[in-house]
Amino acid sequence: MNVILSRRQAFKAMIGLGGTVTSALLPAAAHAAADSRGNSEEHPAHPIAPPDAVAMLFDSTVCTGCKACMPACNEANGLPTDTLLSGGIWDMPTGLNAKTKNIIELYQDPQSDNFAFVKKQCMHCLDPACVTGCPFGSLVKRDLGAVTWNSSLCIGCRYCEVACPFEVPQFQWENWNPKIVKCEFCYDQRLKEDMQPACTSVCPTGAVIFGKRTDLLAQAKERIAATPEKYFENRVYGEYEAGGTQVLYLSSVSFQKLGLPKLGTTSIGHYATKVTSVLYKWLAGPALVAGVFGFFIRRNWERHETERREHEKKTGFPDQL
Amino acid sequence: MKTTAPSADSRGATLINHWQCGVPVTHGPVLTPFLLLLTGLAGIGLGLAALRFFSPLGPFSAMNDVYAWGIWKTFNVMTLTALGSGPLALGIAAWVFNRQKLHVVMRTALVSGFLFYATGLIALGFDVGRPWNFYSALMPWRWNSESAMLEISICMPLYCAVFLSFEILPLILERIYYTGNERSRAFLSRIGPNIRKAYPFVIIGAYVIPLMHQSSLGGLLLLAGTKINPLWQSPVMPLLYLVAAVFCGLGFTIFLLMIVCLRYARYLDAAVLTELANLLSGVCFVFLAIRIADLIWRQQLRAAFALDKMSLLFLFESAMILAPAIALRFRRVRETPRALLNMSVLACLGGMLYRFIPTSIAYVPLRSTAYFPSTPELIMAAGYIALGSVAFVLAVNYFAVLPGEAGTWDHTFRPFGWPGKASQSSIAGPIPTAVVQERAI
Repeated sequence: MNVILSRRQAFKAMIGLGGTVTSALLPAAAHAAADSRGNSEEHPAHPIAPPDAVAMLFDSTVCTGCKACMPACNEANGLPTDTLLSGGIWDMPTGLNAKTKNIIELYQDPQSDNFAFVKKQCMHCLDPACVTGCPFGSLVKRDLGAVTWNSSLCIGCRYCEVACPFEVPQFQWENWNPKIVKCEFCYDQRLKEDMQPACTSVCPTGAVIFGKRTDLLAQAKERIAATPEKYFENRVYGEYEAGGTQVLYLSSVSFQKLGLPKLGTTSIGHYATKVTSVLYKWLAGPALVAGVFGFFIRRNWERHETERREHEKKTGFPDQL
Repeated sequence: MKTTAPSADSRGATLINHWQCGVPVTHGPVLTPFLLLLTGLAGIGLGLAALRFFSPLGPFSAMNDVYAWGIWKTFNVMTLTALGSGPLALGIAAWVFNRQKLHVVMRTALVSGFLFYATGLIALGFDVGRPWNFYSALMPWRWNSESAMLEISICMPLYCAVFLSFEILPLILERIYYTGNERSRAFLSRIGPNIRKAYPFVIIGAYVIPLMHQSSLGGLLLLAGTKINPLWQSPVMPLLYLVAAVFCGLGFTIFLLMIVCLRYARYLDAAVLTELANLLSGVCFVFLAIRIADLIWRQQLRAAFALDKMSLLFLFESAMILAPAIALRFRRVRETPRALLNMSVLACLGGMLYRFIPTSIAYVPLRSTAYFPSTPELIMAAGYIALGSVAFVLAVNYFAVLPGEAGTWDHTFRPFGWPGKASQSSIAGPIPTAVVQERAI
């Protein structure tokens, strides 16, 4: 038999083939392993809240707009007052901003006298887009489900602001050492010490209440069942929005009128990573491409070198690379 | 690379010669008034950037919490690195698909690509709010591996600092070889073969890594979800961003080759340019096919032809890509320099539009806030581009970047118009007559 390959070439071919086959098979194996363990996917389309997940339930029909939650939030988080509009007298933010983690906004119907208040703060999504996008894990989802920010890991890329569908994270544009300002569920200040967040603890009417997510969801559905005509679409905003959030809303007017975005039920992290998580599993995709490229580059390189040596012999001058 | 004699154009309109190797520009002044103007602009831009380092972002930009990314990210990085993808597109064509003719224009693509990436990274460095925390990039346990931003923030500097730098290293070593002393020449002759040994392995990384980060630039926008108009927001955005980068890289290399050859009175090479034009047309068709298939699959075709603002924008952008795709199918167009130049510019603009629109124009968040870059923001963005242009002009004057006839490359160590060094050279050799001829132009 005619042996075409040298021993070395044969080894190389074996390694190359082995690498290619492994990199093709490994992700499939990993995928199968993940499936066998049940719902262990990193970003399931419809994440299930862990049993200890806490939540806030805000009922817009109960809120009187007293704004007691706003100074309570400022005090708990050590935030300055936003006095731009009030001429330096009192806290008067126009929306969530670098000085405001929590705000009561008013919706007024242009035609009728109908109005509704809405409380805005971080939604603490079950699968937060900001956490998925944060490059060095500065934003993380902690136990109990609080999404918190760590100053020592943040590079200030502001991808969280682009990713968040609720436009919650705020950047300190006027600070040389800028921080991301967002509601952290009072995690370090109160939640860790078994206290409820500042905003829910001071609410005089019970418009915003704190509890386990499962309990609050059940309570919200009870309220809808008791007076179905009172609530818009008879549903709880945040139960399924963007895969589910840990802040739940009840309202008599459309949620979009309150400034809550219309979102699908799929987690945004799932949408963004469903393809790349397979392609980049253990860097198998790039390794596969590198293997294929390497094969052709090696072949073409040999041809090129042969031609170069001929050319250099002919002219006597070094060839350019 | 084959040495062929310069051949006359069959149509007799232009003398078309073969590009055979990189040849530095050796005639005419380097510092023209235009270059001084660009240097001034680059200086102002960099000066502002230095000021920005000691100041918060607020006074320097019109960015706000709704449009958190300004033109430094959306234009200097996300759009212009597409034009800087020449090394990726040409490299894959030349080394993987064995398009031998393209080796000669690799250097032009490499230098321009390096400069686009380098200036983009400078822009990024002054755009991020907390750059001192970037050392986390060296600590893999801190990486959030599912973040497209991580992929970009690690791969882009890595690609520019390691892979592109390695690929343009021969240019610099070659210059040192021809202008340096005996010791440096001996050293370079010793390490030369090692570079050749490493080269085929390094270029694998140099093609895989930009494939990753150019697609991740599209992947970034997936997380923005419903904020981006559905004509652009799509799961195939990473792939489209990558294909757009490939044809922008091809188109920009054609454009750049033609304008610098015009500027420095070099002959064009029809064979290389038509090869590039062919590839450009093909990749444009691939892009449009994916784009249309995606719109049909997501049932957005009706919205695409609704003739409202976004639909018109989409049609405008697609027409810019379709026109060169069709026109460059015709041999007459490919071989007419003026038409080829126009078509490559159109393709570049179309690709740039595709990459810019979803980050800014079709980016419609809930809260109605407007963003238009402030004056310092614009000056800094222009300054980075000017910096790249100045560096490119200097590079073509002092390094063997631009393709030319092998006959005009002086192998007898009379390099780069530095007569002082030339007289010191002790190595004698034949002086090709073509050298004299080119200087006469």
